[in-house]
Amino acid sequence: MSEQPLVIIDELKIDVRLTRAKRLPIVDTATFDVKRGEIIGLIGESGSGKTMLCRSLVGTLHRRGAYIASGKLVFDGIDLVAAKGAQWSEIRGKQIGYVPQSALAGPNPVMLIGAQIEEAILQDKNFPKSKVKERAIELLNIVQIRRPEVVMHQYQHELSGGMKQRVMIACAIAQQPQLIVADEPTTGLDVTVQAEIMRLLLSIRAEFNTSIILVSHDLPLVNQICDDIVVMHAGTTVEKIPSKDITHAKHPYTRALYDSRIDLVEPKGKLTTINGQPPTVGSWPAGCRFSEWCNFVRDECRVPQTMPIIPLGPDHYTTCIRYTELDK
Amino acid sequence: MQKGNQLTRKIIGRFLRAISVAFWVMVLSFVMIRVAPGDPASARLGPGAEKAAIEVLRKQLHLGGNPITQFFSYVNELIHGNLGVSLQDGVKVVDIINRTLPITIYLILLSTLCALIVSIPIGTYIGWSGKGSLVYGFRGLTAIFLATPNFFIAMVGILFFSVRHNWAPVFGYDNSFPQNLHYLWLPVAVNTIILSSVISRVLFSSVSETKDEEFVETGIIRGVGRRRFFWFYILKPSLAPTVVLLSYMMGTMLGATVILETVFSLPGIGRELVGAVLTSDYPVVQGILLYFGVITVLLSFIGDLIAYLLDRRVKI
Ligand SMILES: Nc1ncnc2c1ncn2[C@@H]1O[C@H](COP(=O)(O)OP(=O)(O)OP(=O)(O)O)[C@@H](O)[C@H]1O
Ligand code: SF4
Ligand SMILES: [Mg+2]
Repeated sequence: MSEQPLVIIDELKIDVRLTRAKRLPIVDTATFDVKRGEIIGLIGESGSGKTMLCRSLVGTLHRRGAYIASGKLVFDGIDLVAAKGAQWSEIRGKQIGYVPQSALAGPNPVMLIGAQIEEAILQDKNFPKSKVKERAIELLNIVQIRRPEVVMHQYQHELSGGMKQRVMIACAIAQQPQLIVADEPTTGLDVTVQAEIMRLLLSIRAEFNTSIILVSHDLPLVNQICDDIVVMHAGTTVEKIPSKDITHAKHPYTRALYDSRIDLVEPKGKLTTINGQPPTVGSWPAGCRFSEWCNFVRDECRVPQTMPIIPLGPDHYTTCIRYTELDK
Repeated sequence: MQKGNQLTRKIIGRFLRAISVAFWVMVLSFVMIRVAPGDPASARLGPGAEKAAIEVLRKQLHLGGNPITQFFSYVNELIHGNLGVSLQDGVKVVDIINRTLPITIYLILLSTLCALIVSIPIGTYIGWSGKGSLVYGFRGLTAIFLATPNFFIAMVGILFFSVRHNWAPVFGYDNSFPQNLHYLWLPVAVNTIILSSVISRVLFSSVSETKDEEFVETGIIRGVGRRRFFWFYILKPSLAPTVVLLSYMMGTMLGATVILETVFSLPGIGRELVGAVLTSDYPVVQGILLYFGVITVLLSFIGDLIAYLLDRRVKI
């Protein structure tokens, strides 16, 4: 129906308060939309600001002393930058389901698994109490947990990593939210479980037309199930690209991320690794923040400036000013 | 099921441990009071008594003889539920305990209850808010209370409430229920101050740790309502260390309240014990220590069990 994207993130800047006077930018800046029913892969190395960006969507930045410094953040027509308590309680757990990064520490250790799922279900005040148990088991079945009746009566320390992850997903989809934010739902799990979780997310989208923001380090893995890929580097979204076009990425960092994996599979390919340490928060280079690692760097890249967003198609942009040179 | 089995096994194991601890407390108390210098007969007859008279009394009290045989006859009596009689005045040890223990237990239970009522809101609020100035003030104030000896706080209390204002009696006791509060409220208040300082500090540090846990954020994002959140996401996951410490302290307080009992002239069991030690009244000392041992072990067992039921991360 509505042509409006579900989520609009536009030049969003997130700062963290270090001392009374000192502020440090952590996300600077992020720009992308999430359409209804779309799966977005949010990729970037450790410390690039992915988790902070996700937390801004559920309003828990303040727990890390961070806040939205500027920019636009809209969810389903609601301005999240100005959202107040009442609006958050409408959004949290109902419109947005969140699978935290350390899902292994996500379940409450002093509540039975069943109680947590039922709690998630009962966020809908009108849900009939008599049907809660039934629905909880149904959810555990959706996330493919075997013997759900047993798991309901277990504590989190009795579950494996993959099962905890599934429980967190079950809680996140309890209200059939419009958006699921899954922060690295496969990190630390073995490859077969990773693939199962990916398939699970796909089937949830297929069934409920849920939009999903899927955070990961692993570009080749998420590229298989995402519609678009957003690449983050040093707090900036440096490129947004449809996943089918990933081999024609227009930012050297995206290419490096993709190739460093391909090389592992096809030794013939030219070795492209990201050398050295990623830039740390607070010591980002002026101009293009990738300039110190980029093979295509020229002096013009180091001129202090905010890198422009260069549109290349309806769902494709880059922030590399020399993108035309990449394939020469 | 298997899970239930495991819990029962843990409970039984912990209970057996409690019994064995009680046994060793009994053995130790028997040995220690005899190793300690002093003689019940000369204590009873007072200074300047004749040697011969003391010897006669020693015989009467069955004080000579092989300590091993003595020990076995003591154990034998114990098994038959007999704690013996005081060497000083022949009163049954059970009667002495029945007279003095309730006073001390009243003191401990009331101050524990008050301490919980004070500590839970303070510890949780300050731990959760984490506000620098509050934390600083809280740490400072509790440190002052902890560094001050309890008899000093008690003296200040007496000077102010009893001497200056006559709001609390300086000595005496009444055994019937609401009347005894009149004599107990000031010692309870003093004990509460000290107990709350310990408890609220422990709770404070648990809550400040819990606050940063991932699952707490999950609760916020899930939109859990205030009351539920307070119990399931703040207090319940933070309470275990406090419960364990409290149960342990309640046991040790049995002996430790002797100072307060002395200052406030309360005829509690702590004072009775000190008197018995000074007169080498073996049966009384043994009887009281045995009670202390069993109560302490049972309390810490109950504390561990409650902590485990609250939070399965606790090792039982
Ligand atoms: N309170 C804070 N004070 C200072 N720096 C912070 C604070 N919180 C987060 N950061 C920094 O912000 C940066 C972004 O963190 P974020 O967790 O969003 O990264 P990420 O992309 O999710 O990384 P990862 O892949 O490791 O999860 C990190 O470099 C982190 O060190
Ligand atoms: S702008 Fe320059 S330094 Fe940055 S990625 Fe493009 S070519 Fe490399
Ligand atoms: Mg992260």
